[in-house]
Amino acid sequence: MDLDSLERQVTLLEDIQEIENLQRIYGYYFDSHQYDKVVDLFSENAVSAEIESHGVFNGKEGIRRFYWDDIGKKSQTMPPWMIRLLIIQIGGVVSVAPDGKTAKARWQTWLPEVMPSAAGPRQVWLHGYYENEYVKENGRWFFKKIYWNCTFYTTYETGWMRFPMLGYFPFPDSDAPPTAFHPYPSGYKVPYHFPHPVTGEP
Amino acid sequence: MATLEELQARIQRLDDIKQIEQLQKIYGYYMDYGEWQKLVDLFADNDPSVEEADRGVYKGKEGVRRYYIDLLGGVPGKVPRPGWLSIMFQLQGVISLDVGATTAKGRWYGMGMEAKPTTSLHEGELRQTWISGVYENEYVKEDSKWKIKKLHFNLTFRTPFEDGWLKVPVVGQTGPDSKILPDEPPTAYSPYPSGFHLPVSFKHPITGK
Repeated sequence: MDLDSLERQVTLLEDIQEIENLQRIYGYYFDSHQYDKVVDLFSENAVSAEIESHGVFNGKEGIRRFYWDDIGKKSQTMPPWMIRLLIIQIGGVVSVAPDGKTAKARWQTWLPEVMPSAAGPRQVWLHGYYENEYVKENGRWFFKKIYWNCTFYTTYETGWMRFPMLGYFPFPDSDAPPTAFHPYPSGYKVPYHFPHPVTGEP
Repeated sequence: MATLEELQARIQRLDDIKQIEQLQKIYGYYMDYGEWQKLVDLFADNDPSVEEADRGVYKGKEGVRRYYIDLLGGVPGKVPRPGWLSIMFQLQGVISLDVGATTAKGRWYGMGMEAKPTTSLHEGELRQTWISGVYENEYVKEDSKWKIKKLHFNLTFRTPFEDGWLKVPVVGQTGPDSKILPDEPPTAYSPYPSGFHLPVSFKHPITGK
């Protein structure tokens, strides 16, 4: 093997490692309400962010509006009880494009939270799948697009089968409505970005 | 174009990260089954430490032995009681390791399901609980093997299955043991709903801060 192909292989493994770190770090900043740092994980040329039923936010400016203004209320300080206890980022399947400049990845998250409601703080379970996109600029990996499709958002006491979705929460300043919001028990399958690893079929 | 030596160093770093990830996951599996001596053997010989929840800091290889074998294990060779369950997922490791370095840091989530007594470490009725927290650990390469230099598990909640973290954030934590004393008090014990977040060890991947 020549050095050129060896370097391409090493770079591919490094790219996968950096993208995995980026996604996991996103989770750790999210759980500690550091939404300004979350925004900084996105490229200046980022396309969009879409989470749950909040709608689509376009471009870096829209992404800042979504995380920092809407979710973070322009502050790292949240009421202590309103806590995103952990934003678990698991099951990453990372696919780097052949030119090494962009990538896609599927992940899932499962998380316990305490969120406000009209009746007071409420303990909840959430689950959903990500299909995200990344871009390499000046040797670093950034988010290009975050898309999280929610499977369930249920209270601790009832569970996903009895009460799959606590409600529909569109943000009024989004650029577009959610693209595919079909929680349990719809049977909706979030499309894979990757082909079948053995047959090559979609 | 990179030289062969540069590529070797970059591959070594990737290999080291994988070994550290394996080390932490194996730590989790030994914890699940209460294999106390195997846990002690995962730690560095040189100046290791362990701190979990509100039990305080146990320092040095002897302190690590005291923590796992004497405190968690109880009397030597003690068989776990029927129904005892300890499952802790080791999730989402972010390993910070520079090319050529022999020390590293790692942040992880620990999340799991237990059936343990909550009135003391070993006695009392078993209760089913959800447990969750954050690890900020340090690793060192000694004699060409990665070992745990510092293990710190910061508890977020440990709640009865029947109640949940909002209603009963913590059961079964009663402070440092009165007989098998730690070397230092807990450094950052502040579970839900304090709002405390254990500071992250990694630098922001874009801004470097």
